[in-house]
Formats: sequence, structure tokens, C-alpha cells
Amino acid sequence: MGRISRLSPDQVAPEIKALYKQFLAERGNVPNMFRTVAHRPALLTTLQAHFREVMGPGTVPVPLKEMLAVRVSRLNDCDY
Amino acid sequence: MAKQFGVSDEALAGLNDPERFPFPPEEGVALRFADAMTHDPRGVDDDLFAELRRHWSEPQIVEIACVIGLFNYFNRFNNALHMEITLTDPEVLLHRVRQVAEAQAGVQELCERTVEILAQGRRYVRVGIYQRQGEMMVLRAYRGPLPPPGSFRVGERKVGTAGRTGATPPELAVPVGDRSGVQGVIEVESDRAATFGEEDRALVEAVAAILAPALAGPAA
Repeated sequence: MGRISRLSPDQVAPEIKALYKQFLAERGNVPNMFRTVAHRPALLTTLQAHFREVMGPGTVPVPLKEMLAVRVSRLNDCDY
Repeated sequence: MAKQFGVSDEALAGLNDPERFPFPPEEGVALRFADAMTHDPRGVDDDLFAELRRHWSEPQIVEIACVIGLFNYFNRFNNALHMEITLTDPEVLLHRVRQVAEAQAGVQELCERTVEILAQGRRYVRVGIYQRQGEMMVLRAYRGPLPPPGSFRVGERKVGTAGRTGATPPELAVPVGDRSGVQGVIEVESDRAATFGEEDRALVEAVAAILAPALAGPAA
């Protein structure tokens, strides 16, 4: 069990609910980490924006960024 | 997720030991930088950084360092707070399997895509789909530790009732079929005993129902 509760869509403010919906549409789930950070809505909103900017199209190919993310997560023994 | 962004299976496996996989030089140096920055950020040496500069501009290095930093943040946050892996909602997965089935791409592709959808969405460590051919259950698609399991004789293994939940390892074997008989088997195994249960059983049974017409058809 996670150490901190995860918020379901009916427990969050409308703007966070919209963010959940966006995740669901794009990936078929809302990552547990994001449901947890939802306890601090402003942190979730900015985290999500930063995540998108870092991992989305930029100056480095997206597949390489995904590989870096996988490599770091394996080094940290964190299921990705 | 990485596969959806164009990372091949081979490259994903290669990430376990990047030094031994033939990544192109610009990717190889970025991966070595990720290792150094994760293990010992102050120890990133000048030679490595000079090589990074040969392949990447300053804005690109900033972007690479942000990816590495962000995932170190996520990983530490998740590990310390015992974050559970995110599973995809069964309804979403069933919808995806139905879409593949309705596209009628053939039984082989249906099996392969279904295995992929289940393994990714539920993080199963092993998924296998067998199709009955005469008295044999022949493996049609598989994802899990290699080598893949072999075919087996019908009746040789118990399925359905033998599916165990809450056991170690948590696994399920669900028959695919209708009144005319068993046409195949779907086997899944998880490494998450705590979160493997009825939801997974219902999902695999529903997938079996979707696959049944295709598996009842000709084997080739």
C-alpha cells in the first residue's frame, strides 16, 4: 500500500478533475503519483505542466528522453 | 510508455546494460551522463562532459539534464512513499482489445496485440495465449521471461478452476471457449500478490470472451 492516500476524481477540485480526464484520455490511467500529489492541487498542476514540457517535443528526440527516463528509473530500482 | 514513443524492445532490453548495447554515440553518451548524474552528480568528469558537448548543444544538454533530474525526483518520491505501480482501468483495456478484434487483422495479430495490451496495462510479468489445435494447446503469443513456455496437451494442465488469486506467485489460467468447447487458454502471472485479484480475473475472462470467436476459427 502507498503511504499516502490517492485522491479519486470525486475527491478533487474541478480543475484537477479536468487534468485527471486528460490523463485518462491520453494514457488510459491517472498515474498513482499524480493522484497522490493531488493533495496539493497547485503542485500537481505545475508538476504536470513541467513534466509535459520536459518530456514532450523539444530540442532532444522524445524516444531518447524516454530511454533516459527508463534508465534512471532502473538505476533507482523504481518500476517505471 | 517508452514503447509508445518509438523505443524498440531491443533498445529497452539494452538499457539494462547500455555499455554493451550498440546505442548510437550521441545516445550512448547521454545514457552515460544519466548514470553519472544519478550515481554521483559531483563526480561527472570533464571528459564525459566534453563528449556530451560534442554531440549536444547547450539547450539540449539542459533538456537532457532536466529529464534525468526529473526522473530522479519522481523515483525518490515514489520509492520513499511506497507508491504502487499504476494499473490501467480494465474497461479501457477491454475497449482496446475489442478495437483490435473488430479490425479483424487475423488471429495471430489479435493474440499478439492482446498480450501486449494486458502486459502493459496490468504490468503482468508473463502473459501467454494458447490456441487449441486438435489435442494440443499451441502457444500463439507470449510476453514474459524467455524461453517461452511450450505447447501442452489438452487436459494436461488445469485451467479455470486452477487459476489462483492471492497465491504466490499470483497467476490465472482462463479457458477461452463457448458451448462447443475450449478453444484456447489465456495465462497471466503477476508479481504483485497484494493487488492481484478479482479485478484481474474478471478482466482476463472478459478478454477470453472477446477472443473466443477468433480462436475458434482456423489455426493458421
